Amino acid sequence: MENQPAANKFIRWFDPRNRQVGSWAFILNRITAIGLTIYLFLHLIVLSSLARGPEAYDSFIDLATSPLFKFGELFVIAGGIIHGLNGIRVGITSFGIGIRKQKEMFYVIMVISVIGTAIFAIKMFIL
Amino acid sequence: MSDIWNVTFIIARQKGDQARYYQSFPLEINPDEYVLDGIERVWAFHDRSLTFRHACHHSTCGACGMLVNGVEKLTCITPIRSVTNDGGIVKVEPLRNFPVVSDLVVDMSRMYANLGEADFYQVGSLKNTYLPIEKELPSDETYERLVDCIECGLCISACPVALTTPTYLGPAVLAAIQHGHEFNGEIIRSLEFADTEFGAWRCHSGFECSVVCPSNVDPAWRIMDLRKRIVGYRIKKLFGKK
Amino acid sequence: MFEISKPKSREGAFLWLYKIIAGGLIVVILAVHFIVNHFLGPKDGLLTYQAVLDYYKNPIIPAMEIIFVIVAVTHSLIGTRSIILDTNPSPKTLKVIDWILIAIGSAAIIYGIWLILVLVSRIT
Repeated sequence: MENQPAANKFIRWFDPRNRQVGSWAFILNRITAIGLTIYLFLHLIVLSSLARGPEAYDSFIDLATSPLFKFGELFVIAGGIIHGLNGIRVGITSFGIGIRKQKEMFYVIMVISVIGTAIFAIKMFIL
Repeated sequence: MSDIWNVTFIIARQKGDQARYYQSFPLEINPDEYVLDGIERVWAFHDRSLTFRHACHHSTCGACGMLVNGVEKLTCITPIRSVTNDGGIVKVEPLRNFPVVSDLVVDMSRMYANLGEADFYQVGSLKNTYLPIEKELPSDETYERLVDCIECGLCISACPVALTTPTYLGPAVLAAIQHGHEFNGEIIRSLEFADTEFGAWRCHSGFECSVVCPSNVDPAWRIMDLRKRIVGYRIKKLFGKK
Repeated sequence: MFEISKPKSREGAFLWLYKIIAGGLIVVILAVHFIVNHFLGPKDGLLTYQAVLDYYKNPIIPAMEIIFVIVAVTHSLIGTRSIILDTNPSPKTLKVIDWILIAIGSAAIIYGIWLILVLVSRIT
């Protein structure tokens, strides 16, 4: 029978109509979580060059200072800030603290995330 | 002298196993009437085969929950003015996450069965049934009142986790368990019913439930509070046994 | 037409609590880890091989990095499991998924700790 809960309904998580910020936070957290998980495992694998010694690792570091690399890193930074701050919000509301203010908390988090990402972008590309 | 608006009701229809389709009904209606009044008018004057649930018409019975323009609403207290303009559209669909029986009527048995398992206390003492933010009225232990939850199911329809997981107990049931424990701290069975992977630990803080609740239950807060109660109970059990 | 779910009681609470606590630890350690590894290094903010070894001279650092590997990997995999739960796997499938996650997590943590200890052994 249709209209029942089903795994494939998750598409609706991405429907922007008629939802309030709590859902946006929920979706953003999931997306950044998946992105960060992929990054985490890639990062661990790439660091194996440390074991191979200074030549292998330092040449990788040279690669890591290239603009394309740094641009990709900016997404990781943005995702990390959003997921981390939103995670704190979920953590404290889970203990009953601040539930009345959960929407305001999310707005503040997004502002900080944008500012934080901008600061890192400036630091990485301009300074 | 009252307004008359031209509003088109677009209503979801579904009988038996057929796919859902939408029918349009143009109405001339006073915008201060409620969406439910519009639906009744469609039934009375346009199509007697339209099936929908309604009873008290004053937000006590919880029967008339539907999606209005994509948002969960209790249609008996939703003025047409609040969801559309003159010349506008009111799209009415059945609640999400429940199987459709016919047109706008859904089968809420799963929710009722879970509420039964949860030992839903429909009556609470006057003192204990207030949320922390409400003002304390001069209270008396001997007075009781009906609890806020009217079992309308809007919260389960709105919940992003209930959308994908049929076995999730859902905000209504979890809030009911918390409420029961608030009223009577001795109950254990329903705490254990909630203490599962598809109970209180499945909530991922979407907060949609509290936003759509028409009856001041605030299930999101109650689920968080329920978690604290479960953890407290388990800690006590751990030390009590030793 | 429907079944009342009767999953095992007492499951899920520990994972949930752990995920939150691990998340809190990650935020703190990540801030330190990130600032050192991306801002304070000699090469455009990044650390060279020798700079990494110098950084590891203080014994608090390898200890912190080991804790970091453990909480980051476990938090990530428990979170992944939560998302997988939304696809309604059958109990049997879920058991298989649990074992795969445990295997991946253990391998990643063992590898991470090994790597950290290798670096510590190379400190001059």
